[in-house]
Amino acid sequence: MSFFGLLIRNLWSKKARSIGLAFAVAIAVMAVVTLDVTSSGLEQSAAAIISVGKADFTVAQKGVADTLASTIDESELTKLRNTPGVESVVGVLVETERLNADNPVFIEIGINPGDLSRFGVRVVSGRAYAPSAAHQVMLGWRAAANLGLRVGDRFNANGTTNTVVGIYSTGNTFGDAGAMLPLPAIQGYNRVAGIVTLAFVKVTPGVSVTKVAAHIDYAQPELTTIRTASQFGRADRNLIYLQAAVNGSTVLAILIGAVIIGNAMLLSLFERTREFGLLRAVGWTRRRTVGLLLGESLLLAFLGAGLGVALSFVVAVVLENLPALKGVLHPNFTEGAFWRALFTALVMTLIGAVYPTTRAALLSPLKALSYE
Amino acid sequence: MSNSTDHRAIEVTGVTRTYPGPVEALAGVDLRVDYGEMVAITGPSGCGKSTLLHLLAAIDSPTAGSVVVAGHDLADLANLSAYRREVVGLVFQFHNLLPQLSALLNVELPMFGTHLSTPQRRDRAHELLAEVDLEDCERRLPTELSGGERQRVAIARALANDPRILLADEPTGSLDSKSTARFLELLEGLSHAGTTIVMVTHDSDVAAHSHRIIEMRDGVVIDEKVTRVTAPVTTGAT
Repeated sequence: MSFFGLLIRNLWSKKARSIGLAFAVAIAVMAVVTLDVTSSGLEQSAAAIISVGKADFTVAQKGVADTLASTIDESELTKLRNTPGVESVVGVLVETERLNADNPVFIEIGINPGDLSRFGVRVVSGRAYAPSAAHQVMLGWRAAANLGLRVGDRFNANGTTNTVVGIYSTGNTFGDAGAMLPLPAIQGYNRVAGIVTLAFVKVTPGVSVTKVAAHIDYAQPELTTIRTASQFGRADRNLIYLQAAVNGSTVLAILIGAVIIGNAMLLSLFERTREFGLLRAVGWTRRRTVGLLLGESLLLAFLGAGLGVALSFVVAVVLENLPALKGVLHPNFTEGAFWRALFTALVMTLIGAVYPTTRAALLSPLKALSYE
Repeated sequence: MSNSTDHRAIEVTGVTRTYPGPVEALAGVDLRVDYGEMVAITGPSGCGKSTLLHLLAAIDSPTAGSVVVAGHDLADLANLSAYRREVVGLVFQFHNLLPQLSALLNVELPMFGTHLSTPQRRDRAHELLAEVDLEDCERRLPTELSGGERQRVAIARALANDPRILLADEPTGSLDSKSTARFLELLEGLSHAGTTIVMVTHDSDVAAHSHRIIEMRDGVVIDEKVTRVTAPVTTGAT
């Protein structure tokens, strides 16, 4: 039998303990992965707004806890438009509204109809609203399908009844699942006249986007430029706090898991002291003896990691469909989540294994053989 | 180190072993065992015979004195694991088989860490179990074997790496008379084949099967009796 086969045989011979230990690892991994994929989903949802507009970069107020709470007044928009190398700037006001239990965070974008094409909006049915029309709305095609609405139907939002005058497509899931209204109308509903949330900047062809963004960051220090989803995550303090909470939880899960594994391994070492003494007496080296203990633990860690990821899928689906969280959580299973699972399982196993394996290495064969 | 005409398999000189307490388990033992000899160490409980065997097996070390086995001075030996694996084979009173492993796998254990491949280890274990007439019990767990069968598995395990010296600590202590007789037959067969055997026993009938009986009391050798003459064997002639 190979050494690997011996590891499997040993684990199989203590099925209940092996399953219990793998399950303990799996629970810790599940907690870490679920937190990771849900926070990643939140970040992705929040950052999706910047990919709606066909812009080179987005500008938001610097230092806000929630990027959607950013406020940029129109004078700042004018400054942006006058920045060298800027071809166009589209200011939009983004609000969220709870429509119903199925749509707890419905996105509404206030934008001037003249900016629609620059923003990448294509009207696929009906027409665009008038610049200052009251009670007119365009729905993204996904939103229209979800809500079962067509051109001419009534759409209740912001405490008013609006007529659906058009259906649009942006080619972006997030944008197509929301609604667009005239900018003055939505500013009026929210009592923020002259204010936009984000500015979408297009740079003159041939001009360096990085240089223009850097210029804006320098010239308008109250604003911040965002080019990627990860930059969005760094600009949005809520997401920074969320990421910090995920990292903190990972460390905590690793420590708790390491204690559980360390305890179980130590118990196993005590129970198997005579076995380790015998192996040393028949010529096994310290390294091979420790390798046996560590190998068994690492196998359980891999098993626990796999089981943990599978459990996190189940938990994420359950969380996603909880009435209180429906429409809010959109778990985002990325490759990174799997690596985090593996990292968590391996680190907790290795930390947990330090003391038991050191003890195993230092066992005297004779003392171990006479251990009761 | 050994030379090609050296008959000494074991040479113990002025060995003491004191445990914390202090308990003096060995109080100055001198012993020489030649290659091919089958030696029984007898004496009452606590006389130090098992301690002496543990020193020979390198699972314990002396407080003072020197232990030289097959030319290796154990005090200077850097790789004790290789010594335990390749030079000596150890049989325990309660066989110490791993309960989760079959008879075959128990026999394979000392072969981990040798140059043998996995199939070679398995083949060698098959061969050893056949030598102790247990070819039909290979897949059985220790709990499914009788006491005598377990002890034969333990012998097969001790012989796994073809050691020059077999050390047995009260090997018949847990066996009935029939199993004891079968076990002694095996030992005699090994002895005839040239294996040096040192066996600790308090059973005088078992001791009588050896070439020489060494009696210990209070940590020292008090008597030595030759029961049968053995032909001298030199290093490597096993």
